[in-house]
Amino acid sequence: MNTRLLALSAVVTPAALFLAGCETGATYTDSKGTGTIVSLDQIDIQDWNRAADEMVASLLASGVLERAPEQPAVMAVSRIVNNTMQQIDTDSLTKKIRIELNRSGKTITTTTLGLGGRAEDPLAKEAAEMQAMLDGQKKATTLPYYTLSGKLLEDRARAGSTRQVTYTFQLSLTTVKDGLAVWEDEKQITKIGKKPSVGF
Amino acid sequence: MKLALLTLLAAVGLLVGCATNVNTVSRSESLANPEMVNDKRVITDSSLGKLLRIVSVNEATVSGNLKKVQVTLENAKNNARTVNYKFEWVNQDGMATGGTGEVWKPLHFAGRETKTISAVATSPQAVDFTLKLVEAK
Repeated sequence: MNTRLLALSAVVTPAALFLAGCETGATYTDSKGTGTIVSLDQIDIQDWNRAADEMVASLLASGVLERAPEQPAVMAVSRIVNNTMQQIDTDSLTKKIRIELNRSGKTITTTTLGLGGRAEDPLAKEAAEMQAMLDGQKKATTLPYYTLSGKLLEDRARAGSTRQVTYTFQLSLTTVKDGLAVWEDEKQITKIGKKPSVGF
Repeated sequence: MKLALLTLLAAVGLLVGCATNVNTVSRSESLANPEMVNDKRVITDSSLGKLLRIVSVNEATVSGNLKKVQVTLENAKNNARTVNYKFEWVNQDGMATGGTGEVWKPLHFAGRETKTISAVATSPQAVDFTLKLVEAK
């Protein structure tokens, strides 16, 4: 009897533990941690974090921002071309970069000057224009010393059931006065596998 | 017969193990003069401690007042492997402060390969750093 019970528990206990381990209820995970989902068909949160992080490190290490005559230098975000198959909000990349550069004290980003005249903060733009009009000034906004532009690319490959996707993040920092790109960098993130996985 | 089979298996295993190793060549006397950092290591995963060797830690100042740190790591084994790493920065008061490298990133090694990783503090107040390493999934 005891032997039977032992044998039964030897089978049941691991099965119960296995099932408990397979629990799929949603929970929180650290956005900057190693427990996030790794997809093969999209740029994941950790990919945005990593690309932005490495771009900021590259830009700060280049020493370019030190050359601006006024510190912190004013920067405007220009066009980030999305050539991937995904619908992307490029702020997923640029906002992270802006935050870190702002924190460093090396640049501040204008929110009243945007591509095609579209200000990120229209109220601030209107208020600045009104203030300029009341003060009898012509210039309502501070012009940027730098602009940040870039492109996102996607490359796919397949070998049997194994899929590979490479996302390329390209950025350029241009000096407005002469239109020269004083800093450029490219970061690539490649993911390979047969299906998405949880954690890396 | 058994001995021959075992020898063959061992030879195949050795060849497979060596297949990803990296050979290098560089200047015999380096011209670089890095500012080395005396480091303190806390090993809580002894197996990772044996797999990955920290060769050197050096630092520099970039963008006028921001600290940059670079760590050279070596895969101590013949097998390819992946580890995850992140940096954390602290200011003079020991308070956590911002910096690049504060997200976990994977780092792939071929057998016996040496790689460098680096991070830049985004706060001029950052004075110290911690590098965290974990084995990948």
